[in-house]
Amino acid sequence: MDAPLGKLLPFYLVVDVSFSMLGKKLDAANQMMPAVVDALAQAPILSDKVRFGLIDFADEARVRLPLCDPLDENVTLPSLSLRGATSYAAAFRLLRTEIEQNVRQLKADGFAVHRPAVFFLSDGAPTDPEEDWRAAFSDLTSYDKQAGEGFSMYPNVVPCGVDDAEPAALRSLIHPSDGIKQMQMYLMEKGEDAAKAIGMIAEILISSVLASGESMAKGGSGLMLPAKEDLPAGIHAYAADDEDFV
Amino acid sequence: MSRTPEIAAADQPRHAAPPETPEWQGDFTPYVVGDPGRAASRVRPALVADFPDRPDTILDGIVVNGPDGAPSATVRAASVRGLSHRHYARVRQDDYALRVTPDSRYLVVCVADGVSSGDLSHFAALWAAQDGTDELCQRLARNGPDELPWPEFLAWVADRIVERAGHQVEGIGSDPREVAQRMAAALTYAVMDLTGEERAVHLLTVGDTSGWVLGRDGDWRPQQPVKNADVDIHSSAVSALPILSGTPRPVRTSVAPGEALVVMTDGIGDPLGNGSGAVGRFLARSWGDPPADFAFAAQVGFARRSFDDDRTAVAVWPTVTRG
Repeated sequence: MDAPLGKLLPFYLVVDVSFSMLGKKLDAANQMMPAVVDALAQAPILSDKVRFGLIDFADEARVRLPLCDPLDENVTLPSLSLRGATSYAAAFRLLRTEIEQNVRQLKADGFAVHRPAVFFLSDGAPTDPEEDWRAAFSDLTSYDKQAGEGFSMYPNVVPCGVDDAEPAALRSLIHPSDGIKQMQMYLMEKGEDAAKAIGMIAEILISSVLASGESMAKGGSGLMLPAKEDLPAGIHAYAADDEDFV
Repeated sequence: MSRTPEIAAADQPRHAAPPETPEWQGDFTPYVVGDPGRAASRVRPALVADFPDRPDTILDGIVVNGPDGAPSATVRAASVRGLSHRHYARVRQDDYALRVTPDSRYLVVCVADGVSSGDLSHFAALWAAQDGTDELCQRLARNGPDELPWPEFLAWVADRIVERAGHQVEGIGSDPREVAQRMAAALTYAVMDLTGEERAVHLLTVGDTSGWVLGRDGDWRPQQPVKNADVDIHSSAVSALPILSGTPRPVRTSVAPGEALVVMTDGIGDPLGNGSGAVGRFLARSWGDPPADFAFAAQVGFARRSFDDDRTAVAVWPTVTRG
């Protein structure tokens, strides 16, 4: 890095758009990015650093909002629509490609880049073979610093589940799953309204983004998740080794 | 679309001051390098309820005499609270201190950066700067900087932070690791010989503060490896006192007339990078000669998008001897 143009904190929101998201759930998912934009507009320190990208997935995954400054006046937020099954593998593969390309490009443009954060929202179990999505997730998150093997730009992953999301599968997506920087999973309480739960997950996402800004002022360089007691009612937080979600 | 008002001669005041002797002059425009970002104009700086007497900004502009009583160096120093700390109502955690040994042989400088994760780190920065430079002056009365036992000196500073923390903070304990949870500081000490044409300089750094020589042609010569020079993902992990890790060795360098020694925290070091970019050119142009002291502080506080950390710099220009 010769002389950095700025320091950036990339966030990716990854949203399930399989047919089961039909109706109010999709409407709620479509309100997530506008809510993020409204919050960032009130947060000058953070909005100078945050970059947001939106990926949706069903049978395949698509970049719906390439990583950008969401307050940039040239940015138009996409409208999500439904299209098929639930391939986690497609989402993870596209994420890896995107993160690698985005970080390389930002660095080539002269930016210093903090570790990316991924919020992964799903309302159902993966429909692709387990070994496929597990392998794709491993490609996205495995990194051996000593050996220099794996994906050095691996993201922090925060899985979020509503409705029929499978807790055990989602839980295995918490990354890092241990250590001082361990992430969490957010699950809708059984019987809660799923569209409302997506709105709460948007709130959690926003408070994480805001807390990350304050954490950077306190010397942290990564994603800060809200404390369990600060969660909206209807949503529960779990660590990778929690067993009590059924 | 400006309009020149047409004023009839009869309407003009009879005893207006002649235009060539204005009652005041001067102007101030904040310095901006590239995109200033939203924070520069939108942050509303907050007073810190817990530490209301901790200044947002401190600055000094001094001339230092050598042993012969003649001016030997011009110093500009400023420590400016970052936009992020202003926004989140936290204190400036950077600090600096300037000393001259009683024999006027050495100028002693410390620039310290309290690590943000400690809620009391500004104390570690303050003590490392003020007590550390005092101690260094005493030690320089016994040994020249070449013979100084630097590791022992650093251990003294670490102990001092722990000791003062014990007096100041209830229940903090005497384990350096415990103290470091609440307060720690990265720092650079610089000792400049005030004699001779080429000024010998010793620099000792713990953590991500840094010392540079600004050359005559505006070239920035780092006196330590540049932080995050070759990594994919930016990291802000630092070593800091009172934790001693490894044995930092002093760097010996020299500063010629027309050059400047610049010691800084990473609030400036990060946007400066290796000095080859716009920030490097801006500061090199601004600091080719000593600027006015207030101008120096304003330059240290330049706006550049996303660089919102506390900023501290001490710059020393050897006085050019004439005749």
